[in-house]
Amino acid sequence: MISKYVDSVATFSGDIDHLIWVITAIVGFWFLLAEAVFFYLIIRYAARDGVRAQYVAGEDPKEKRWVAVPHYLTLAFDVWIIFSAISVWQEVKQTMPQADETVRVIAQQWAWTFIHPGADGQLDTADDIRLVDELHVEKGKTIHFELQSRDVLHSFSVPVFRLKQDVIPGRTIRGWFKTTQAGAYDIQCTEICGIGHAIMPARIIIESPEDHAAWLLSQTPATAALTTPTTQTGGMP
Amino acid sequence: MHRMKSLNTSAFAGLALVLALSGCRPDGAKKTLPGVELYAACASCHGTDGFGQALVAAPSIAGLPAWYVEAQLVKFRSGIRGAHPDDLEGLRMRPMSRQMMDEGEVKAVAAYVASLTPMKQAPTLTGADAAAGAGSYATCQACHGVDGKGNEALKAPPIAGQYDWYLVSQLGKFRKGIRGANPKDVTGGQMRPMSMTLADDQAVKNVVAHINTLAK
Repeated sequence: MISKYVDSVATFSGDIDHLIWVITAIVGFWFLLAEAVFFYLIIRYAARDGVRAQYVAGEDPKEKRWVAVPHYLTLAFDVWIIFSAISVWQEVKQTMPQADETVRVIAQQWAWTFIHPGADGQLDTADDIRLVDELHVEKGKTIHFELQSRDVLHSFSVPVFRLKQDVIPGRTIRGWFKTTQAGAYDIQCTEICGIGHAIMPARIIIESPEDHAAWLLSQTPATAALTTPTTQTGGMP
Repeated sequence: MHRMKSLNTSAFAGLALVLALSGCRPDGAKKTLPGVELYAACASCHGTDGFGQALVAAPSIAGLPAWYVEAQLVKFRSGIRGAHPDDLEGLRMRPMSRQMMDEGEVKAVAAYVASLTPMKQAPTLTGADAAAGAGSYATCQACHGVDGKGNEALKAPPIAGQYDWYLVSQLGKFRKGIRGANPKDVTGGQMRPMSMTLADDQAVKNVVAHINTLAK
């Protein structure tokens, strides 16, 4: 249902959608039931001439049940939600399947720089492919990402993966994803990072093996010399 | 009947509110905002007076000629400048330049920047030899002029009065190919080999120290 509106293209995005549904269904059920009882009681026991209002303390077990039973049921449903959430958290955040490729994602005010390992599959070598605004990955490969920030807090969000991970200056934060569908999708920053926060979009290009190989070839070796890491420059001498 | 009328009024009011909140203009007309209004996007870094600030590496832009500001905004908007992965400040400027929605807005904000009163910025360089830099400046003056006031015919901007740290930073970027290396950057491509005539970082500082001495 959610994927009807936002594509679901990572192996774990369906599980996150499922979790959202579990929570929506449980919370929605109790919300509607509670509202129904609430309005029924308001209408059924509305003020009437000649009927005196009385204070109900809930000490009578028959009355107390109206609170106690939903209370225990809610707790039981909470346990269901927590277990569902923990299993998804475990899958997405606590496990790191073997990587086919590792990319580095560098956030700054207000742009994303993506460092691809290039033909040799290794980061920090001369054939690294550094691109602003575009991350290229091969469909079906397990990609590890290393998040770094040059300045302030950012958040790496790929809506089609249902993935969101804070980027914290001074740290390298690792995560992973495995794509299931080719296409070009949005990457956005989801942590307010300054005046240009809203205008730092980027794209993830998920390519078939053939297209990815062709892209890789187009970036090497002719441009390899240009993409050799150069010293970071600052505004002050 | 009366109730129906009040319902229609509410429906219209609701529709008007939704349209207003969604930013739609009923006539669908595109409106170019005046330069002073557009400049609000620039002011957070360059300041309301256009003098910039070292803290965020924003240069002084007050009084820069409109043709230069416009040319740079066009370059930033199209990724010809400020799109190199190592151009920390350029990457910050690039999305801000896209706050200008079209050519008309670029022209409007450039005209406003040009209308601001320029001010000579105080020197901050240490360990630089302005006298030694005067010799190297001979290369620069062919385009930027003896007085550093620039030359529109050669698309060379004024550099006298600019922050020295900014000039050092930009010369460094030209030298490393972080600025001016895009094949579409014609004037940047001209500036790159000129920056290469400076032998090292000390030579860069010296020539900037000389530019510091040029009156604005």
